[in-house]
Amino acid sequence: MASAQLLCRVEDIAEGEARGFGPLDGYRRKIVVLRRNGMLHAWLDACPHYPGGTPMAWKTDAYLNGEKTHLACHSHGALFDMESGECVLGPCLGQQLTRIALAISDEGEIFVAAAQEEKRA
Amino acid sequence: MNIIGPDYLVFGVDDLAASIEYLTAFGLKPVDVTDKGGLFEALDGSGIIVRHKSDPTLPPPLPTSNMLRQQVYGVRASEDLDAIEAELSKDRRVTRLADGSIETKDDHGFELKFQVTKRRELVMPAEKINAPGAPAQRKPNEIGVWEEMPAAPRMLSHVVLFVPDIEVATNFYCGRLGFVITDVLKGAGPFLRPKANDDHHTLFFIRTPDYMKGCEHLAFHMGGPTELMVAGTRFVKKGYQSFWGPGRHKFGSNWFWYFNSPLGCHFEYDADMDKHDDEWIAREAPMGAEASQIVLFEMREKWAPGGPPPGAKP
Ligand code: FES
Ligand SMILES: [Fe+2]
Repeated sequence: MASAQLLCRVEDIAEGEARGFGPLDGYRRKIVVLRRNGMLHAWLDACPHYPGGTPMAWKTDAYLNGEKTHLACHSHGALFDMESGECVLGPCLGQQLTRIALAISDEGEIFVAAAQEEKRA
Repeated sequence: MNIIGPDYLVFGVDDLAASIEYLTAFGLKPVDVTDKGGLFEALDGSGIIVRHKSDPTLPPPLPTSNMLRQQVYGVRASEDLDAIEAELSKDRRVTRLADGSIETKDDHGFELKFQVTKRRELVMPAEKINAPGAPAQRKPNEIGVWEEMPAAPRMLSHVVLFVPDIEVATNFYCGRLGFVITDVLKGAGPFLRPKANDDHHTLFFIRTPDYMKGCEHLAFHMGGPTELMVAGTRFVKKGYQSFWGPGRHKFGSNWFWYFNSPLGCHFEYDADMDKHDDEWIAREAPMGAEASQIVLFEMREKWAPGGPPPGAKP
């Protein structure tokens, strides 16, 4: 198994905030890490509306909608549930973001496993 | 009906501060913009009007989540407004406003306004190139690029709409308002230019399900491909997200570079678009990667071969 890659520390992601990292080795796109209801979730920065998946922010780390209630694709305004990754409004309604598994060390560092073979959206 | 093209596109957004920041960074000039929003102009005075989605002065929203609220078309003279009013009031309500402009809806429910154009005439040189066999466009000692060279959007170029029924949309804009089809991407839709504009397109339709109805992208004309790439590179360096480009389209021949935005659609820089007149016969091509571009690039960080001489101290 390839080595895990460090993203940041747990305290770097505040409640209700999202940040993008990478693209890391083995990934085509950045990884979006967010915290919602205390829990960390990570998604591949690839909107399922178009084949291959396209980047969703409108600016570095600007992944959320104006009300900060959803992860948003700033191509055509698709909204995704932050915790389930499901598109709840917009062109890819019902489709899913690709979840990235995180590992958190005892010291509070957030890692992702190096991609084996990245799933296509 | 001498329609020139879109003077303004009006948006009702959920993040006004982000939109104001974005439009300014894109290169548009805020005119009378307050914390309630306002107009962001290209050099010729055309541009984007943005307000918060709860602003009561905005036209009503589409039934979808799209943030486009209105297309404001410029016409040559007030007689053109009379002609449009006469034609469209045959089967819908057309409202005359105090300033003489008129408001109505198209057959898909998109809000429209027509006004005597507020665009200012631009007198500026195009990007100049030198090539063997042709007279030099730049004089001796006239340089082509420099670090701080201006690269500002000159004019609102076109808007692209997601519509559920291409035939309904085409019949309205061509049959009722005198737009002309210049080319067709089968599987997507037609490119249209209005009577009083020789640009390849000011309007393009993409067929989509009803729940996506809205604006897919809008574009501003730049002074040439170099300005387009300079503006796009500066935009990326500030952290804005490239979506597609830079590249050059086949239909229209325009250079393009698309970016994500907080206004719920893409913003495009375009340059060097084809011009057409009524002699032109529309072409057709199936929608796809081959038909949509002659070249496509992806930006990378600046880099140069070489480095310090071998053995030099770092
Ligand atoms: S590419 Fe994400 S909503 Fe269209
Ligand atoms: Fe375009």
